[in-house]
Parts: sequence; structure tokens; C-alpha cells
Amino acid sequence: MSLNNAKHWLQKINDLQLPEKIKIMNVCGGHERTISNAGIRSLLPENIELIPGPGCPVCICPEEDIFLAIQLALNEDVILIAFGDMLQVPVNVSKKEVRTLEQARANGADVRPIASPREAISIANDNSDKKIIFFAAGFETTTSPVAAMIAEGLPENLFILLSGRLTWPAVAMLLESDEPGFDALVAPGHVSTVMGPEEWQFVIEQHHIPTAIAGFEAESMLAALYSVLRQKLDGHLFLDNCYQEVVHDGGNKTAQRYLNETMDVTDNNWRGIGIIPKSGFSLSKQYAAHDARLVFKDYSDDSRRRIGEMPAGCDCAKVVLGKIYPDQCRLYGTACQPETPIGPCMVSDEGACHIWWNTAPRKSKTKKTKSSRLVESI
Amino acid sequence: MSNNITISHGNGGKHMRHLIEDVFAKHLTNDLLNTDSDAALLPLKNQQLMTTVDGFTVQPIIFPGGDIGSLCIHGTVNDLAVSGAIPEFITLGVIIEEGLALDTLDKVVKSMAEAAKEAGVKIVCGDTKVVPRGQGSEVYFTTTGIGYKSSVVDYSTKLIKPGDKILISGSIGDHGAAIMLAREQFGLSGSLKSDSANVISFCQSVYELEGVRFMRDPTRGGIASVLHEFNQATGYGIQMNEADAPIHDEVITICDMLGYEPYYLANEGRVVAVVEAGIAEQVLSIWKKLPNGEKASIIGDITDQHQQVVLQTELGGERIMHELSDTPLPRIC
Repeated sequence: MSLNNAKHWLQKINDLQLPEKIKIMNVCGGHERTISNAGIRSLLPENIELIPGPGCPVCICPEEDIFLAIQLALNEDVILIAFGDMLQVPVNVSKKEVRTLEQARANGADVRPIASPREAISIANDNSDKKIIFFAAGFETTTSPVAAMIAEGLPENLFILLSGRLTWPAVAMLLESDEPGFDALVAPGHVSTVMGPEEWQFVIEQHHIPTAIAGFEAESMLAALYSVLRQKLDGHLFLDNCYQEVVHDGGNKTAQRYLNETMDVTDNNWRGIGIIPKSGFSLSKQYAAHDARLVFKDYSDDSRRRIGEMPAGCDCAKVVLGKIYPDQCRLYGTACQPETPIGPCMVSDEGACHIWWNTAPRKSKTKKTKSSRLVESI
Repeated sequence: MSNNITISHGNGGKHMRHLIEDVFAKHLTNDLLNTDSDAALLPLKNQQLMTTVDGFTVQPIIFPGGDIGSLCIHGTVNDLAVSGAIPEFITLGVIIEEGLALDTLDKVVKSMAEAAKEAGVKIVCGDTKVVPRGQGSEVYFTTTGIGYKSSVVDYSTKLIKPGDKILISGSIGDHGAAIMLAREQFGLSGSLKSDSANVISFCQSVYELEGVRFMRDPTRGGIASVLHEFNQATGYGIQMNEADAPIHDEVITICDMLGYEPYYLANEGRVVAVVEAGIAEQVLSIWKKLPNGEKASIIGDITDQHQQVVLQTELGGERIMHELSDTPLPRIC
């Protein structure tokens, strides 16, 4: 029984004698959702802090890429397709201009949300007289099926606007900074499935931070939390795999081969963070004919690339880096809500602000309940 | 006659007469339905009338466990039943898209007739229009439901008090999940069926009980939206217990895969009731004995300890259930 197992891990965590505050970061929107949906924060000892870190590909997708997608959709005779989350992310232009792909659609552009990369192929085949641009933002988990699709051969009329990112370089960047802001790491489950758990070994070996890979059930998450706490207490660090059902040594070799064959790893911009070395994917030269950045190169505008830019007043950059909790942003729950998102973290299902808004107690209305401790502890 | 609906089926002439006679009148015939008359005469009783209006645009129009024909009856009579009325009459507006297969239309109208018979309602008048291909989506139904109000019932959210219990008559989220399964875009398959059904027996079984405060059918927006309605109408907090929520494993799996929560998925054959704590077990036991009632459950409480809609998770933690703001799955009913 996974519920019983989850309760077992919870009890074991509560039985630990933790001498001091410990901050545990997760770097996956799915993990943050698991924690929030199960109400795990309200069940842990007060000196354990769970911090959502850089785990949302929509949140860190550079503003200039979204701007480019909007311009292509508006000005070219194309069908622009993107994962649904991307449609509502605003760019930094005045309110009179088109700020999101959704608004571009309302202005007559043919913008279509998709749920699976394979839909790009069927849309391209069904509309062979049109150019299709697939705005593919995502981490390794969504980029690898795009790579597979490219390797298997794209329809002539399908172009990829790739905004793929690797997860671990952002964690490395945090760990190499003066203030990483966390004492233990819950490593992402699906990314490890694709790239292999070994990618996270550096966190232990180079930075001496307890690390465990978790899945997406409360049981697996609590097992991982217990693991990193024990590692911290015992001083015996090892990369613990608490998602053995699908995370195997070496990862998914086929997916990695597709990524290697079709894409290069390049230095890329992260919205609100800046350029992180070797943190993104670009299409290999041999696929230049399908690279929307090259085919529509007149639209590229390097002047838009401003490091660290988020909308005015929005603290998404700090939220993404785990420097503050979502509800510490001035706009959270006031100007910025899921219906009227200002920053990308309030748009995406993977964004910490969106997840918190959907699950965490509201400060203003909360009377003294058990869960209000979460708010007070911040 | 063509095997598909053409514009001429809506032209008021011979084709339309055939359509009405061969499809609608054939299945829906009853003593009050007179296709030669523009208005129906309804028998008057010495009781107050209740009326409701509803529109049906579900896609796909045929889904596991039902279709738009039966759904339009269930949706209409359920709105009356939870309000304390015995459903009697339905008026039917039909908008058909050119190109719809006549066989398909026949199938959903037949299913509508069966659902009406089961619910004890008569379709008393109707109207048919055909719109050009591309301007509709196969077929839309609009209904008006009319029923006589049960004299013993006077439900209102104003009666709800802290300490009251919240019950649901069956499993949560089946209709929304079944629609997702039926939509090809998700590439999913499974044996799950929509819960689409009339809830008349569930409602009538408790009309005579003292202490039933309010009932609602948790359709669009799911159980979470109904709980938010209670919260907003009363100002009291809602405490729902995840461990007591009856949810099929398949629904949980689909939600996990697609990033939804069962509490926000539509139900089309369920009732949520708020009742005085003292009769909660009695209502539960009545409901459990009814067909489709075996999964009925007491799922939460009205509380004055806080003012939010709070979910007590299976693990024992607490979190809020947010008010639905986006529309992840349009056209479910």
C-alpha cells in the first residue's frame, strides 16, 4: 500500500532528531505539485523547509523566444503550435501590443496548442500547403521526443523553434554561486529517466550536498526526503534512487542518441537568470532547413536579449532560483493570479506560483489552521 | 432521402417534415407531443412549477457511457430534481450541422427517448434548425425542463450551518475522465464510462427527511466548484476528506497523466447534499441501497474554524482546493 508506505516514511522523518534548519530544494514542477497536493509541508517538522527551484521550462523560456514566436505567428502565413502552457506567457511589451501567443490568436494568427510533440507531425501533414512552426520549449524530457521526431524525418513544411534546456547546469550554477540557498537536493525523476541518474553525482562529489532522485507519488517523495535528511545527519552521502521503477543506470540510451544526433548543447539564456553555459539545445547544422531560427532569421533580434528580465515588479526570477517563496512576491495573489498572470511562474502548471496558488492557504482568509504554519514559517 | 443531414432538412418543407417524423416524432412520441401544433398544452396541478434551461454541446457527441441525447435529458431533469421538483416536461431545441449522418442523429434521439422514459419525462415540443457545415459541431441541444415542486422541500444554502455534513452519491469525475478518453487527441483508451444518469431517485429518497439543507449536481467545474459555491454562499469553511472521496483508479491515472484533478472534472449523474450531521448516516444508508449508489460517501464538513475550501489529504496534510479559473477541458456537456 503506497499510502501506508508514505505514512511510514513520514513517521520516520518526524522521528529524526534534526539539530538545525535544513533546506531541501526540488527542481521539478511535478515534484512541487506532489509536495503541495499531498500537503506534505504541513506534515513535516518546522525546521525542514522545502524549496521549489528551477523546475519549470515555461518559466525560464527566454522572453526573446516567446517574442519571436509571437512575431512569426502574427506576420508570417504560418500555423504556430506550442505546448498549451506557452500560450499565456506574457512578454515585456506595452499593454497595447500583443503580449501573448493567446492574444496573437485572438488577433487572427493561427496559433494552436498541442499536448504531444507528435501532433506537430499530423498538423503538418494535414496542412501541407502551409508552413508549420513548432515552438518547442522544454527540459530534457520534452526535448528528447522532439529529437526523436526530427531524427525520424520531419515533413518538409515543419520548422522547429527550439527552446530546449538541460536541468543540471542550472543546479550547478546555483551550487557554484555564493549562496546556493539549499542544503539538500531532490533530483528530478523524469529527467533522470532520460539522462540517467549519474548526471546528479556531481552534486554529491563536488558540492557535498545530499541528493536523492524522487518520483511523483507522495511515497517516493517522502522516501527521498528521508534519504537526504539521513544523509545529512549521518554525514554519509550517496546518490539515492527513490524512483527505481523507471530510473535506471545510464538512462534511456535511445533518447540520448536522438538528442546527440539532432541537437548540439549550447550556452543559452534562461529568463530571469541569464546565460548558463552548456545549458540548452540547438538544432544541429544538418537540420538547418527545419530550424525556424535560421529559416526566419530576419526576425531574430538580439537587442531583445536582456539578461534577467522579467515583467516589472515580478519576482519570478527569485522564485525560480529558490531565493524566495512564491507568496513573498509583491504581485502574488494581487495583480498576478492564474487568470491574469504577470510572470511566467503563475502561468504554467509546472510554475511554483501557479502550484502554490492552487494549493497553499491564502494569507488574508486563513484563520489559525494547521496549514497556516506554512505561511507563518516563511 | 440522403443519408446525411443537408441544409434542406432545415428549410421548413418536405425534408424537414420527414426528419421530424422519421427521427424525432418516431422516438419521442407521447400524448402531449403534437408535431402539427406550435405550442403544447400542459396539464395544471395544484402545485408550484419549477423550470430550468440547459444547453448541450459535448464533443464527441457519443462517448463511453452515454451520448448527447441521453445527456441532455439527464442534465435537465437533474437540475430540477436537486432543486426539489419532480421533472415532468421538456422542450427541445435542436441545431444540427449539415453533414451529420442521419444514423447518428437517430441513435442519439433514440437514446434521448430512452433516458426520458426512464426519468418519467415527456418531450412536449421542439424546434429543429440546420446550420451550414463548419458553423456547428454535429448537433447541439437546448432544453427547458419543467417540473412540479415537491411541497415538503425548501432547500437553500441559507440553511447550511457549521457541523453539517457533505455527501456525494457516487464516484467523482467519471464523466470528465470518460470524455478525455473519448477524445482522440489524448491517444488514451480504457474501460471507464461516464456517470451520465438521472439522479431523481437519490433526490426523491430524501425529500421527506428533515435536515436536508441543500442539494446540487456537480457538473461543470466538478465537486470543487460546488464546494466553492457553498463556501461563497455561506461564508463558512469547507473541510473535505480526500480519504473518503470515492474516485475510480482509472480517473486518478488519467488525471495524473494529463495534469488534472478529479475534483474539477464534470459529473453528470451525481448529487452533492449538505445535511444536518444527525441524519448524515441515514442519508448515506438510503443512498447506498439505490442503484448506482454503492459508492455514496460522506466526504466533508461545513466548519466555522476557517473560511476556505480545504482538502485534508490522504496522508493527513492540508491544502486548499482552489476555485477553478482555467478551462482545461471545454465542451464536456
